[in-house]
Amino acid sequence: MSASGQSYWLTEPCRIRREDNSIRIERADRTPVRIPITDIRDLVVFDNADINTAAVSLLSRHRITVHLLDHYGNYAGALTPAEDMSSAHVVRAQVTLTADPVARLAVARALVGATAANVAWALDTDLLAGPLERLPAQVRACADAEELMGIEGNFRRTAWGVLDTLLPPWLRLGGRSRRPPSNAGNAFISYLNAITYARVLTAIRCTPLHPAIGFLHADSDRRRNTLALDLAEPFKPLLAERLLRRAAAQRTLTAADFVSDVRSASLSTAGRKKVSIMVREELATTVHHRQLKRKVSYEELIHLEALKLVRLCLEGTPYKPFRPWW
Amino acid sequence: MFVVLVYDTAVERNPNALRTCRQYLHWVQRSVFEGELSTAQHRSLMTALRQQLDLGHDSVRVYRIGSPHLVQVDALGTELGNSDSVL
Repeated sequence: MSASGQSYWLTEPCRIRREDNSIRIERADRTPVRIPITDIRDLVVFDNADINTAAVSLLSRHRITVHLLDHYGNYAGALTPAEDMSSAHVVRAQVTLTADPVARLAVARALVGATAANVAWALDTDLLAGPLERLPAQVRACADAEELMGIEGNFRRTAWGVLDTLLPPWLRLGGRSRRPPSNAGNAFISYLNAITYARVLTAIRCTPLHPAIGFLHADSDRRRNTLALDLAEPFKPLLAERLLRRAAAQRTLTAADFVSDVRSASLSTAGRKKVSIMVREELATTVHHRQLKRKVSYEELIHLEALKLVRLCLEGTPYKPFRPWW
Repeated sequence: MFVVLVYDTAVERNPNALRTCRQYLHWVQRSVFEGELSTAQHRSLMTALRQQLDLGHDSVRVYRIGSPHLVQVDALGTELGNSDSVL
């Protein structure tokens, strides 16, 4: 992945072609759009896409990941470059660290604490002050990651309830449901969570860390990128909850942007486009970073988060998860 | 840096210039490109163009601008290219 360049969001059914050692996007009934290959950080595909070996090999050579989201906005998979940033040294350190239950739990605790604080920050309410105050003691009492996840779940449930009070009736969650999301609010949150996951995975792929070796989520059951799930946690409130509130307040989204069925909902094509424009603008938002003494974008914050873990693995620098300071 | 590139080349070398520029910049008009480049990318684009064009006859002008926020574009007529990142 190039440091410069931008993410491209493909919201319509399209065909990804290679032309003149660059990328051409063909959509039905539209003129093809040529994207300069050096300007691509990664591609996020929201709808059906056709791609061939020629295009994949070019993307791979330029270290570009293609993230694929399925019809319901779940993360379906990715086309990743064949040679990524591998370093045996870092991966070995990462394995040693996660194999140590004490060190692992310390990181997991920090993640749960930060996530809860970020949720409260994103909702911008005092209603969560009580649960947030009780949280540190509960987190300290946890003996394993499973208990921690339980506590996080409980806190989240309280937070979803509080979030409902800030939303118009048609966008309320009424309890979180996934696979498939049951209503418009849940569909939005699921969509944003999948996008956040894709952003975190892109950031992790820019470091030598192995995305499957994580700290908080259970790593024994299925083939999944535990580390990406872990690191996505503190960023979900920043993107998902906050954007949902903003979309409700500014009335950017309407009921027509969702396709609702009995007990399931998803975003329509127009809705997807609106959401990806919102996310793109949100990720480009910059804040002043106090240590770096310069402005960094939210996108870059995710990358910095992955770098913090590299420092934890190699230098033993204590890991302090992301908390908004502004 | 933000770059606006304009080329004026002999007919037989137009495709070469077009092909090379497409790898780095967004096509906005028949022989006009624009986009964000790093210093290294700018250098390699210039090297590639130098190798493909006849510098005795062809002409390429690159306007370098510190930030895209400094460019104000007034457009008339049909928009030919597309440099939006949501497709």
